[in-house]
Amino acid sequence: MKDNFRQSMKWLHTWVGLIVGWMLFFMFLTGTLGYFYQEITRWMEPERPFIVHNISNEKLIDTAQRYLNKHAAGIDEWDIYLPNSRDQNLRVGWRHEPEPGKKRGQYITKVLDITTGEKVESRATGGGRLLYRMHYRLHYLSTDISYWLVGFCSMLMLLAVITGVVIHKKIFSDFFTFRAKKVLPGWLDIHNVLSVIALPFHFMITYSGLLFFLFTYMVLSSNLQTNEDEYSAMRKEIYPRTAHLEKANQAADMLDISTLYQQVKTAWQGDELSYVEMFAANDVNAQVLFVRHETDITYNPADEVMISAVTGEVITQQPKEYTAAGMIHNGFISLHEGQFAGAIARWIYFFTGLIGTAMIASGLILWTTKRKPQQMKKPNGPDFGYRLVEQLNIGTIVGLPIAIALYFYANRLLPLDMVGRAAWEAHVMFISWAILLSYPAFRPAAKAWSEQLQLAALVYLALPLVNALTTDKHLFNSLSKQDWNLAGFDLTLLLVGSCFAFAAYKVKALQVSNNSSKRPSTQSSKQRVKQGKAQLPATSGSLLPVQQAHKEQC
Amino acid sequence: MPYLINKLHLSSPHWPLVSRVFAALFGGYVLATSSSLFVSQILLHAVGKYQAIHIGLMLTFIVYACAAMWVFSVASVSKAWLGLIKLTIFFTVATWFLMQFTGVTS
Repeated sequence: MKDNFRQSMKWLHTWVGLIVGWMLFFMFLTGTLGYFYQEITRWMEPERPFIVHNISNEKLIDTAQRYLNKHAAGIDEWDIYLPNSRDQNLRVGWRHEPEPGKKRGQYITKVLDITTGEKVESRATGGGRLLYRMHYRLHYLSTDISYWLVGFCSMLMLLAVITGVVIHKKIFSDFFTFRAKKVLPGWLDIHNVLSVIALPFHFMITYSGLLFFLFTYMVLSSNLQTNEDEYSAMRKEIYPRTAHLEKANQAADMLDISTLYQQVKTAWQGDELSYVEMFAANDVNAQVLFVRHETDITYNPADEVMISAVTGEVITQQPKEYTAAGMIHNGFISLHEGQFAGAIARWIYFFTGLIGTAMIASGLILWTTKRKPQQMKKPNGPDFGYRLVEQLNIGTIVGLPIAIALYFYANRLLPLDMVGRAAWEAHVMFISWAILLSYPAFRPAAKAWSEQLQLAALVYLALPLVNALTTDKHLFNSLSKQDWNLAGFDLTLLLVGSCFAFAAYKVKALQVSNNSSKRPSTQSSKQRVKQGKAQLPATSGSLLPVQQAHKEQC
Repeated sequence: MPYLINKLHLSSPHWPLVSRVFAALFGGYVLATSSSLFVSQILLHAVGKYQAIHIGLMLTFIVYACAAMWVFSVASVSKAWLGLIKLTIFFTVATWFLMQFTGVTS
């Protein structure tokens, strides 16, 4: 299309990245928060009690089973989720019989107070789950439309990653010659570093994202090759499940789960139990599955132990059989979700996700900085397209983080008995994002960047304070109780707020220095400045300062 | 009618680009689908039907991406379309031939 292959790919990379850039930014940011979705939910349900340290698994299981016997009697399938590093509360869940015409029954979860053994009544909230589901399920749109839209964006992302590698001549040597000492490292430098530093992650997350909906996106191919039965057989081969006995409709007394747990404990040598799954409760075929924290990216049969709840015998499970392709497929999906990750790996995931987010942001900003000198020379000011990109950049790159913070504010400030409270939390987020997206249209770009950065700093720094004023789950208490999930959330807010404050400060400082350094130089070209409106001081120097600031953010 | 055709600005410099985008988007998808049929027929005996289909499907995204890149790299739009169509026909015919050999109808 252009003179040579690399030029064509450069063109493709630019435009593919631009048209879905803001969507990808949204997907990457909400997806990155998803690595902490349980922690976020815990913060958004402040009625849950503080962490209680050093309680034996046996006692936890007993508490849960007592509650289930009382409140979920007659239910066949129920689960006990033990406190872990991600969710420090004991939880139980059970599935009701499906209503007529439905495939699966409703699933109920309750958080239990370990000291009283009773459930905790929490406020209505979408929690971290709603936030992270947005990265593939979006919001307000139907499931089908969401999946296809997300698929389209992911496909263009994959294209952008591959073309990005192709156009980057010296991918490795460039990495080591990052000119960090340069007064203003170009946006291209920043974009390159953010891309190269986590290239395997960018590729993995994009390709695996597509694999999640492989059969949705490639529906034509799978429909051509399989009929309905073959299709479900194929899916069973790709996603094998742990087999368990069906209900025999013959009542039987079950042993205590904590007694059964003793056998598992010796096999695992330690207290790694993650959750307990019950099948066909109070039936002769009652079986309990003990699952520990995943120890393998793909699959380790030793992570699960199945025991008969009636006889107490360990049932030797036929290990799930994966095909080679299934192993690769599930491996990619597991890498995407990071379920296996411990605390440190989870933080690495989080920061790598932020690098991806920042890569997209820097690419979007690069689009404007490259065109800026030319656009500023235009007699009637920059084109509509240029201004639109600039506006969407400000409204998304700084606006979306503010909107997410307001989602948390809504959680704390909306009346507890409000009708549709959980839905309104999300409404608040999207309404404020819409406002922040349109706001830059009425302000010079430099001012809009600076003001929104200041607002971002304010909302993030003030959130722990609002938390302290509205609940007892504030930093002082969470730190003294060593409740690291709660404290970690507030501390992260403060850190993010400080980054935004620093960015806002840098932008301001550079604007001032830009404007003052402009004065002597503009004297020689005074006439040109007078003629063209384009050289307005407000729009000049709009983006360069931000690049410095943005680097700090990431 | 001529008015409408004029309205479409068929001589506009944007049309080749629009056509190329369509080639990458839809032509690429059909090509990727046909490639998956071909791959699954090749692997059928080595790894079994379901896994063969699965591998073919997993590769489609890569084929799709390469096809899109190729569409935007060639000199003319007609060459892009022709290339996509030729390769799709090749995959389809090859798949059909392989099916005659293996005797598997899918």
